[in-house]
Amino acid sequence: MKVSAVRQTLLLIALASVPAIGEAIYFRDKVSWQSPDRSSEMVNLDQAQSWGENAIWVDARSDNEFEQDHVPGAIPLNEDRWNELLPTLLAQWSLEKKIVVYCSSQSCNASREVARRLRDEAGLKGVFVLQGGWEEWQKSKR
Amino acid sequence: MNMNFLRLIGVIALTALVQSARAELKWEQTSVDLHPGFNDKQAVAHFKYENVGNTPVHFNSVHASCGCTTAQTQNEQVPPGQKGEITATFNIGGRTGTQVKTVTVQTDDPDPASSTTVLTLKAVITPLLEIQPALVYWQNGEEPKPKTITAKANKDAGVKKLDVVSSTPDFTAKVDAGSAPNEFRISVRPRDTTKAVYATLTIKPDSSANTGNVFAAAARVMPLAPTSGTAITPSTKAAVSTIRHDLATPAPTAGSPRQ
Repeated sequence: MKVSAVRQTLLLIALASVPAIGEAIYFRDKVSWQSPDRSSEMVNLDQAQSWGENAIWVDARSDNEFEQDHVPGAIPLNEDRWNELLPTLLAQWSLEKKIVVYCSSQSCNASREVARRLRDEAGLKGVFVLQGGWEEWQKSKR
Repeated sequence: MNMNFLRLIGVIALTALVQSARAELKWEQTSVDLHPGFNDKQAVAHFKYENVGNTPVHFNSVHASCGCTTAQTQNEQVPPGQKGEITATFNIGGRTGTQVKTVTVQTDDPDPASSTTVLTLKAVITPLLEIQPALVYWQNGEEPKPKTITAKANKDAGVKKLDVVSSTPDFTAKVDAGSAPNEFRISVRPRDTTKAVYATLTIKPDSSANTGNVFAAAARVMPLAPTSGTAITPSTKAAVSTIRHDLATPAPTAGSPRQ
């Protein structure tokens, strides 16, 4: 009886190992615990402000929100008018400059998405998302 | 004993009465998958409901998760037995890929489990053209070799060719067939890399299915990297001025003469 239970256990372990090994081989370059380091894409307000003239501020909020108020010198770049607005940023970008993208809690994940597209589609490096976004900026001005 | 029994009956009857007087919205579906066409400006989802309870339901709030999505109810109050729908309209704009937007509906249903419903709109947006990269650039003084932008056309669009026009004569663009079907290679070359220049490349897919979609990429010769103690020369000033001029000039349409 005991021998049979051990055999069944071993059989189950062997069966479970087949897909596990297969997955390990197939995803060897994308091991689940190696998730992308999102924190490296974020920047806090103090750090971003310390970049001074070497930072390009990008406002990922809607046109209406941008028109009401924005970070001085910020360039509007939202996904509503991506194709129209992108060239303006590309004309001002240079290799030594960092890009700080911000949005507000009203515009969901817009800044992350805009930052991702700048990296993936335009191939820009040094693109960061502002922690706390527009609300954080406003808080610092009070 | 009899008194206690009557009390028990009373409690049961009251409970039954409270339970029977319920308001309940039954949703046909709370998640909708949409596949808008490449010419569509909006993706619209209809979330149908019915009040299967026996008291009216009031919508306290209908709130979209994002400014790009609007949600509308047909009525603020839904009488028992009435059907209706909430329409969620997602403005696609320049978005691509899979977009998930939610609409949170709150009613006056006393049951907290039923009073809040989250409706999900998932739109898979496949653009007419995917451009990679959207920017090609040369360092100042770099050899003016051509650099390639790849444009992948939507297989359903039947794009036969691309018209690419540079906003300034500082760059030339040549289009060839790519290595895969529906793929094009745009070779961009600067005439000179000794001065900082910028151009918008207007890309228009030639397809009968296209109703005016125009795409853009950019080409730049970078200005000289600023180093401490480097004076701004007249040529640098001229280059900056050129860039500003280009920005102020709208990108030409396909029918515009090449500048």
